[in-house]
This record gives sequence, structure tokens and C-alpha cells, in this order.
Amino acid sequence: MMPLAIPIGVCALAVLVLAIDLVPGTGPRRGAAALAAAGLAALFVATWFVPSGVALSGAFENDAFTVYVQRIVLGAGVLAATGMIDHAERLFPRRHGEYLLLLLASTCGMTLLPGAKELITLIVAFELMGVPLYAMAALHKGTTIGNEGAVKLYVAGAVSAAITAYGLSFVIGATGETMFSVVRPGEGPMIVLGALLMLAGMAYKLGAVPFHGWVPDTYQGAPAPFVAFLSVAPKAAGLAGMARLLWEAFPRTADRWTPILLALAILSMAIGNALAIPQSNARRLLAYSGIGHMGLLLLALLMGRGSGLEAMVFYLATYVAANMGAFLVAEAVEADGGGEIAHFNGLARRNPGLGLALLLFLLSLGGIPFVAGFWGKMVLFRNAWLAGYTWFVLAGALVTVVGLFYYLRLGRAVYIEAPTNTAPVATGGAMRTAIVLAVLVTVGMGVFPTPFIEAAAAAGVAVGR
Amino acid sequence: MNGPPLEAWLALSAALFAVGLFGVLTRKNLVAILLGVELMANAANLNMVALGHFRGTPFGQAAALFSIALTVAEVVVGLAIVVLLARTHKSVDADAPSEMQG
Repeated sequence: MMPLAIPIGVCALAVLVLAIDLVPGTGPRRGAAALAAAGLAALFVATWFVPSGVALSGAFENDAFTVYVQRIVLGAGVLAATGMIDHAERLFPRRHGEYLLLLLASTCGMTLLPGAKELITLIVAFELMGVPLYAMAALHKGTTIGNEGAVKLYVAGAVSAAITAYGLSFVIGATGETMFSVVRPGEGPMIVLGALLMLAGMAYKLGAVPFHGWVPDTYQGAPAPFVAFLSVAPKAAGLAGMARLLWEAFPRTADRWTPILLALAILSMAIGNALAIPQSNARRLLAYSGIGHMGLLLLALLMGRGSGLEAMVFYLATYVAANMGAFLVAEAVEADGGGEIAHFNGLARRNPGLGLALLLFLLSLGGIPFVAGFWGKMVLFRNAWLAGYTWFVLAGALVTVVGLFYYLRLGRAVYIEAPTNTAPVATGGAMRTAIVLAVLVTVGMGVFPTPFIEAAAAAGVAVGR
Repeated sequence: MNGPPLEAWLALSAALFAVGLFGVLTRKNLVAILLGVELMANAANLNMVALGHFRGTPFGQAAALFSIALTVAEVVVGLAIVVLLARTHKSVDADAPSEMQG
């Protein structure tokens, strides 16, 4: 059971937080959130000490790939639990414990997903990740757009689960088995049909074009600390689950499903970036730009074992820190005024630290040197070039320029536009801690990328052995 | 066991899946959308059991059991969201609350 220590630890933490929340009459429970954040940080450190190997009769494997994605997810969990502390009282009165329980339950699914090597384990982990997210989206009291966002997330998730299960049934029918290693030699139309349906179902959940309709509305409507988490962690875990499934269970039929994946990648990259340009709301801008990033990540996924998955997990690590950081800053600005880009006007003068942090996150998302995102794009484009996707690299470079245009539009509001309201933007201590952590990771990976890239290279070859 | 051939079961589940998907895509009422999702999930379960049976493997039934449990967990949360929406919007239409655009 030891290779399963991380998911079990997250689950135990969830039970502990629930138990603390059930103790009657202790007023606001900042302690529970601090405990969840500290526990997730401890589990993050523990990933270095968990032995690799298989558990559950081979249905779960803890290897370099699993561990890399678990670290990304646990890091996102730490930022999410820390970032919610200051705003929890306003956003979820008397609901801290439930929010944290759901956050940890979802994180448990996400730590299980990258190591799933069996079809039923995969769909259970996928749902354990997804179902708590629907409830978290609807937990926001007092707004109506929050409910609309929750409905859209829910319908997308439920349809995606049904399509994935339908695809799964064909794989069982074709091979009579559920272990990836046994499914692997299978060929024939039924396997291809099953693989394509599972691919479509999972792409729906990840918000790739043409399954992206729910993304901007959910991001705009749901509570801000939740969106920061939703925008990165399920993507990292979901892509990791897809990578395992496609490259360990269906590599024999790769020539049948890679064209579909390539089409999804190109459409996501083009449409996400094009629709980000006219947005006036910071969250919708980040939502559409996230769809664009998903296009690049899907390309890395389809390049496969080795260089492709290396680029995918490293890009995810750089993206998680920068995107969560940007959402945390947006949350602070929203608590102060609102979420339109105009509300960011003069942020650098109203709160220089917050303005600088947001600029760093935007530069990282845009891919400027000396912050993490540059290396993420660099590794991805280098590996894609070497794998022969020359024209995709050129298109990717083009959309990177487009991305810089709209990211710097937000940066321009922060640094150049005059503030309409000169009062400083307040941030609480916990929020500052979360933002500083995200800045440290973003700048740290930008200045010393080598150890992260080396670990990613080890992760990339672990899949599909 | 004598009974309908595998093709009949596959056709039935494909029809169920298509009806469910049609419902999800065309209905405005959220409860109807949930029913559509439920039909799609049950089409998947039927497919798992039928394919598992004709293949002579227990994995089809095992997967269907897990799938049923997952669908129940999902529908519970979905109905809770519908109740919430009915409370805040006095309506369970999927696009009644449209306050966002872009």
C-alpha cells in the first residue's frame, strides 16, 4: 500500500478537517484552512519519500510521472487553501469546513489520477476529482451568476462522464479486460471507437475546443479562490490521466486518434487566443487564454512518451504557478472593486507589490525570459520542432505574440492607466503568503529551470514503458 | 442462454445514448437535461453489461456497478444545484439566468 501513501494522506486530511469542523461552537475557523494548507504542504514534501512501485494489484503505479503531477496538484492545493483564508468569511459564511472537505476530496482524486493504470480506477479517480468541484462552484452565497457557472460546470462534467463510460464499455467489449497493460495489444474498430469516445469525454472536462462553452461562464461566476484552483489543478491531473490512458492502453491505435487530438489542439490554440482579445473581464480573459494554453498542452500530449510528456508536465508546472497567482491577484482586486479590466487601472500605484506580482504572472503566461513560462514554451517548442511539428511551432510562436498582446493589455492597465480610486488595495496576510509563494515558484523556475526540466524528463519516459 | 444477439443490445444502448444526448442538447429545463444525462449513463451501463456478457468476462458487470455508483453521486450534486437555482432564480431553465456574455 505504500505507493498509495499520498492519496491516502490527502483523504485522511479531509476526514481530519471535517472532524474539526464538526466540533461545535468555535466561531470562524481559520484554523481548519491553515491545517489543510499545512497538511498539503507536508504531503508535498512527503512525495520525495514515498517509494515507487505498484499498488492495488497493479491498478495504481507510483513512478516519476505520478510524483511530478502529484507535486503540481498538491502545490496548487496549498495555494488554494492558503488563498481562501482571508475571503472565506465573506464568500462562504459558515461553510469553511465543507469547502475545505470538498477541496481535499477533489485533490485526493487528482493525486490518484496520474497513477491510474486500470480503466475503472481511472474513471473513479476522474469522478472523485470532478464531483466535489461541482459542489464547490455552487457554494458561493448571495450571487446568482455563481449558480449559473455551477450549472454549466455540472452539465459539462456529467455529459463528459457519460461519454467516457460509454467509451469504456467498448474497450471492455473488445478486450475483455480493464488493465491498461492487457488492453494494450488490442486492435480493431471497437478499440478505436472506445478510445475516441473516452478521448472526447475527457477533452470535454478539460475544456478543449469545441467543448469549451462552459469554461468562461464558470470561471466568471464561481467563487474566486475556487476558480484559481479549477483553472489549473483539474487540467494537470486530467491531462496526466489522459496521457496514461492514451499512451499505455491505446498506443497501437495511435495513428487513428492522434489526428483528432491534433485538431482539438489547433482549434483550442486558435479559438482560445482569438476570443481572449476582446474580453473586458479579467477572469474571462484568463479563461479564454487558458483554453489557448490547453491547445499547446494537447500538442505536447499527442507527441507522446519521452519528449512530449516531458514538455507537457513541465509546461503544466510553470502554468499552474503563474495562472493561480494571476487569479489570486484578481481575487484581491475583485474584493476591492470588481473584476473588469478597468478595476486594475493603476494597481501598481495603489499596491506596488500586488501590481508587480501580477506583471510577473502575466509575463510568465506570455512566455517572457527569466520567468517560468518562457522555459515551459521553450521546452515545448524545442521538442515539437525536433519531433517534426515545424508548422505547429510557427503557429505557436504566432499565438504567443497574440497572447502577449492581451496579457500586456492587462499589464498596461496596472502600470500605465491612472487609478480611478487611489485608496490602497488591501490584502490579508494569508493572501500575501499565497501570492509570494506563487511569485517565488514563478521566478525560481525562471532562473533555475534545470532541476525542474530534468525531473520532467524522467517523468516523460516513465509513461508507456 | 438464448436471447437477443449482441447487436440488438448494442443498438438499444446506442439508441438510448442518442436519445439522452439529444435531450441534453435540446432541452431548456435542467431537470430534463439531468434526465438526458441519466439516459446516456444508463446506455453506457447497458453496453458494459451486454459486452461483458457476450465476451464472457465479469469486468463488464464490475465496471457497470462502479459506473452506477458514480452516476448516483453525480446526480445527487446535480439535483442539489437545481434546487439552489430554483431558489435563486425561481426557474429551472438552463438559460434563464443568463447574466454573462462574451
